[in-house]
Amino acid sequence: MTVFKTYIKVLLSSKFTVILYTVMLIIFGILNMETKEVGTDFTSTKPDILIINNDENEGITKSLIEYISNNSNIKEIENEEDKIADALLYRDVNYIIYIPKNFRKDFLKGTNPNIEIKTTEDYPSQVANNLLSKYIEVAKTYRSHINNEEEYIEKIEETLKTNTEVEIASSLDNNSLTKAKTFFNFSNYTMLAGSIFIICLIMTVFNNETIRKRTIISSTNYKKLNRKLILSNSIFAFTLCIIYIIISFILVGDTMISSHGLLYIINLFVFTITVITISFLIGKLTNNKEAISGIVNVIALGSSFLCGSFVPIEYLPNFVTKIAHILPSYWYIKTNEEISILENITIETIKPIITNMIILFIFTIIFIIITNIITKRQRTIA
Amino acid sequence: MKKIIEVKNLTKQYKNLKAVNNLTFEVEKGEILGLLGPNGSGKSTTINCILSLLNYQEGTITIFNEKMTPGAYEIKRKIGVVFQDVAVFEELTVYDNIDYFCGLYITDKNTRKAYVQEAIELVGLEEFKKFLPKQLSGGLLRRLNIACGIAHKPELIILDEPTVAVDPQSRNNILNGIKKLRDLGATIIYTTHYMEEVEILCDRVIIIDKGKVIASGTIDELKELAKIEEKVTVEVTNLEEKIVKEILDFKNVENVTYTESALIVIYRKGKNNLQELIDYLKKEGIKYNKIFSERPTLNDVFLELTGKELRD
Repeated sequence: MTVFKTYIKVLLSSKFTVILYTVMLIIFGILNMETKEVGTDFTSTKPDILIINNDENEGITKSLIEYISNNSNIKEIENEEDKIADALLYRDVNYIIYIPKNFRKDFLKGTNPNIEIKTTEDYPSQVANNLLSKYIEVAKTYRSHINNEEEYIEKIEETLKTNTEVEIASSLDNNSLTKAKTFFNFSNYTMLAGSIFIICLIMTVFNNETIRKRTIISSTNYKKLNRKLILSNSIFAFTLCIIYIIISFILVGDTMISSHGLLYIINLFVFTITVITISFLIGKLTNNKEAISGIVNVIALGSSFLCGSFVPIEYLPNFVTKIAHILPSYWYIKTNEEISILENITIETIKPIITNMIILFIFTIIFIIITNIITKRQRTIA
Repeated sequence: MKKIIEVKNLTKQYKNLKAVNNLTFEVEKGEILGLLGPNGSGKSTTINCILSLLNYQEGTITIFNEKMTPGAYEIKRKIGVVFQDVAVFEELTVYDNIDYFCGLYITDKNTRKAYVQEAIELVGLEEFKKFLPKQLSGGLLRRLNIACGIAHKPELIILDEPTVAVDPQSRNNILNGIKKLRDLGATIIYTTHYMEEVEILCDRVIIIDKGKVIASGTIDELKELAKIEEKVTVEVTNLEEKIVKEILDFKNVENVTYTESALIVIYRKGKNNLQELIDYLKKEGIKYNKIFSERPTLNDVFLELTGKELRD
């Protein structure tokens, strides 16, 4: 009890920092969730395309240009290499189509003239590529069967007019689930930053060289004292976690009272246990109060960026997600992502979620083992 | 006498440096043992080995008839340590600091409350109970440091230079407190740079240099060990060099120094040294203001044995 009482007194001595930091992180979390656009409907995308036509604007050439124009945003840029390169670089256009001279004549003859393209290689450019490929493939299909060019073009346009209705068949409340997912993904940063900052701040006080020496020579088992400190740290971290959960109930109550909400809460609790052990380990290694902010930035911000806490993981390059596998945050965020798309909750469907949580537990055990080794070494000063 | 600590053939080596070299000594119940030595002599290393804060290569350390190890919590329960560096929580008040460190030994709340109160009274911090350490003067901070180390009423207390940078009033308070602790039955190991404190407090002294015990005994016994017996100081001006040389040839004279107005003659053991010097000065017609004889101080003994001032 003495250790816990002292822990609280040390914590209260920094109460303004603690409150300010916690409130700030929670506000950031709420703002992050509110500013995220949550898409639940299907909408087609129109890429920005520049067409450089070196052929006459007649017949099939004209038809191709019209089809592309109707399904994209056509950009007007001077036909100069520098300006075109700049437009691609700054994403003013996603796709450039160079229609070669005599395209119409050669295509109708049955040869396949080479259409040069330039692309930004992003998602809109893939849509543009699909448009071009679709037209050319349809045109090739009818080419040998219809001799009259007018009829031929009519047939192509008629075929391309066919639209596909897209309907999202999911019964999930995607808007609320995605909001909850965004909120809990951001909590990766909140929990890491808040816990590491506060726990390290307190641990530097207990790990002060002279105080540590006085503690080691006392009749209190140093391991037991560490356990008491871990317990005190856990109470703090779980309080932070509960505050965060209460806010989630206020913001996305509908989701939180469902089984999805329960899974989000369990995942956050499991992650909190890992965070406590990470924070305690860092606290054991740090004796410098000034260094704590730097450590928080490196670990909390670093792992949040790498693991998809701020930017959805599917937008991150492959090598980044591969690196992220070695961080606990990756498995926490991956679980949140999987919960958000979970249609039916059964033992079978939550197996991947349970696997991720087991991986988090393994991380926790590793951190505890490392902390124990360090603690054992700290029982003597040389 | 019951032995509280027995250190036998203790050796602590850092790579090529032997910080403690085959050290053997004992501490008896109820005594105040002064541990003296110049900086780097191995005092702190010895204390850290005794407390199991350092691993050592050879030797045995027995405290209260049991081998001292990092996990010997029953032995640790009976030991109190006051380190030279103040070890307190800046965030806690005087009372809370003493309560926390006492709580590392005493779990019963009521007993602890009484012990904390007694420790506060012993070091004279009653008026400062609710103060934070940063609000205390250097002397008061040292008193708090002592209270934190002894509040649990240990049978063995190790005090490592507890009066460094302390004002005279606080120093007297601390020294009186230490005497009180001894009177209450505690055994004390005391290291300090201040010889006068050793002469006032210690029943026995061990002088360590280069990791070895070079002398031990009571203060009188140590003074007996020294070759010098007497130091005579004469306040005299304009003394000729010839006179100084003649005095140096006297029987029993170990050394003579003369500065502008003071002639200091150091004698080995012998009789009537002062009388012979007075007779000689009278015969030579040398007028002097004062002449006085002193026994060698512990500092002189220390200087003779180690070749260094204690504060070197």
